[in-house]
Amino acid sequence: MTEQNSLFSYETNTGGNGFSLSVRLGRIKLDNPVIACSGTFAYGLEYSQFYNTAILGAVTTKSYSLAPIEGNPPPRICETASGMLNSIGLQNDGIDIFIKKHLHEAEKLGIKIILSIFGQDPEEFKKVASRTVDIKERIIAVELNLSCPNVKKGGMAFSAMPDEVEKIVSSTVSILNIPVIAKLSPNHQNLVEAAMAAKKGGAEALSVINTVVGMAVDIETFIPRLGNVLGGLSGPAVKPIALAKVYSLTREKILPVIGMGGIFSWQDALEFLVVGASAVGIGTANFVQYDVGKKIIEGLRNYLKEKKIYDINEVIGRLRT
Amino acid sequence: MKLLTGEILSNEKYNDSLYKMEIFSPYICKDAQAGQFINVKCSHDGVLDPLLRRPFGIFNIEKKFNVFSMLYWVKGRGTKFISGLKRGDMLDFVGPLGKGIDLSKGENNILLIGGGIGIAPLYLIAKLASGMKKNVFFAAGFKDNSYLRWEKDLIELKINYAVLTEDGSWGEKGLVSDYVWNNIKLFKSFDIYCCGPRDMLKTLQNIYKDRNNKVTALLEERMACGVGVCEGCAVKIRKGKKGFSYKKVCKDGPAFNLGEVIFD
Repeated sequence: MTEQNSLFSYETNTGGNGFSLSVRLGRIKLDNPVIACSGTFAYGLEYSQFYNTAILGAVTTKSYSLAPIEGNPPPRICETASGMLNSIGLQNDGIDIFIKKHLHEAEKLGIKIILSIFGQDPEEFKKVASRTVDIKERIIAVELNLSCPNVKKGGMAFSAMPDEVEKIVSSTVSILNIPVIAKLSPNHQNLVEAAMAAKKGGAEALSVINTVVGMAVDIETFIPRLGNVLGGLSGPAVKPIALAKVYSLTREKILPVIGMGGIFSWQDALEFLVVGASAVGIGTANFVQYDVGKKIIEGLRNYLKEKKIYDINEVIGRLRT
Repeated sequence: MKLLTGEILSNEKYNDSLYKMEIFSPYICKDAQAGQFINVKCSHDGVLDPLLRRPFGIFNIEKKFNVFSMLYWVKGRGTKFISGLKRGDMLDFVGPLGKGIDLSKGENNILLIGGGIGIAPLYLIAKLASGMKKNVFFAAGFKDNSYLRWEKDLIELKINYAVLTEDGSWGEKGLVSDYVWNNIKLFKSFDIYCCGPRDMLKTLQNIYKDRNNKVTALLEERMACGVGVCEGCAVKIRKGKKGFSYKKVCKDGPAFNLGEVIFD
């Protein structure tokens, strides 16, 4: 097989040339384990100017709420050592605009969509899920954002309350009957309980981690560097935390995990897979290296070739402790 | 817009903190418009600190040579990194980004009001507008004479200009906004483009509140992606009589109608 042929078959079907990158998370089947994280990829349109985003295992949309959200006052971004703080505050156009406009645009690009939804309370989650019923065949899963640190109501507070997690997951599952992913926060001590609750509620998988609460201060003015004072830390600085959190869940074998937090390279992605994540989310890296998703897929594929490993699943969870 | 690498042809030190970098890029020279910017990786390949790209307005385009330049002030870790790059090094950048400014419309008289490094994106507007035979006046204000070397670039444009410094070490002593106020009648039928510190923009907003000039501000804000995804570079823009909505400097701007910007 020529190099060109193998590239072609890889772009259309990653499993088509003897080295399979496809993974399964419950009922969710992905051509490869690389997913763009919510809030870092919009719904794929912008980055499609730089590469064919249809090659990604999936794209998780930004979180959509029932009504549009304006977001937090600026400044919303602050760089820290090997990381960034953000306090965007879930700015979005509302679920109706996504359904009427954005979904179609993403479909035209061939993007496999995981729809991220958000509610300030369990009732709003239900309402957003209900609006989504008509388009459920057009998305591969719904991700529940139970862990945003930048909103006053809801957000990461849910992750701290396993009962709420279970309630929101189970109502979404019963309304939509498609795979539901719970995105959990690293900011509480009870991650395992929250994950168990998500399982009880019928979740298919877990996304771990959302950003780590942090802050920064301007020492000239004594003013916080973020308009919202506190924000969420992401980027390479959080990767060890994310790996440890993923490990804490995969060793309990609760649910398949999409590991995320500071992944910038295929080597980073591989670490998460070895620790037991069934797929990986690429977040902040998209802001820095616009075609990072493509590079990570290529890197993982080359790794398999080089090591003569025919199936990526053979490395998942192979941590030697 | 594209992911690009371009060879650095020069990285000239104008003074301790002010640099002008020239980059070879046929793509930018062909496609970029006034008001657009590039998002530059400010660390070596494979290094993730500083992490985020930094946005720089396009200062000049020399189509004949496929060379564009950026004028920058070394302020933090990102600009410090690029100030250390040498002729022959490759610059990793994305662009052109943001909405371009259509200079073919509007008045034949253009006033540019720049404060500090805010002069950088205005310079290209001045060059392109004067190339369209418009009457261009550049009013530039600085703290001191650290931008003195830039006057040579300005002279090349063969336009009228005024320089103000707060300490009086170069040009007239005073603030550029005071200069504009004192000469308000002179610039009555001018379209205005301004870029600079927030206080300067706020003052100009007050000055032009009840006047008929079309005033466009080029805004700066910290940003991550530069392409409209992260929502990080939000600015408040008036919506209706009392309301506002957040717009993105990177995608909806960087040029906004100054009268519609809400400075908190």
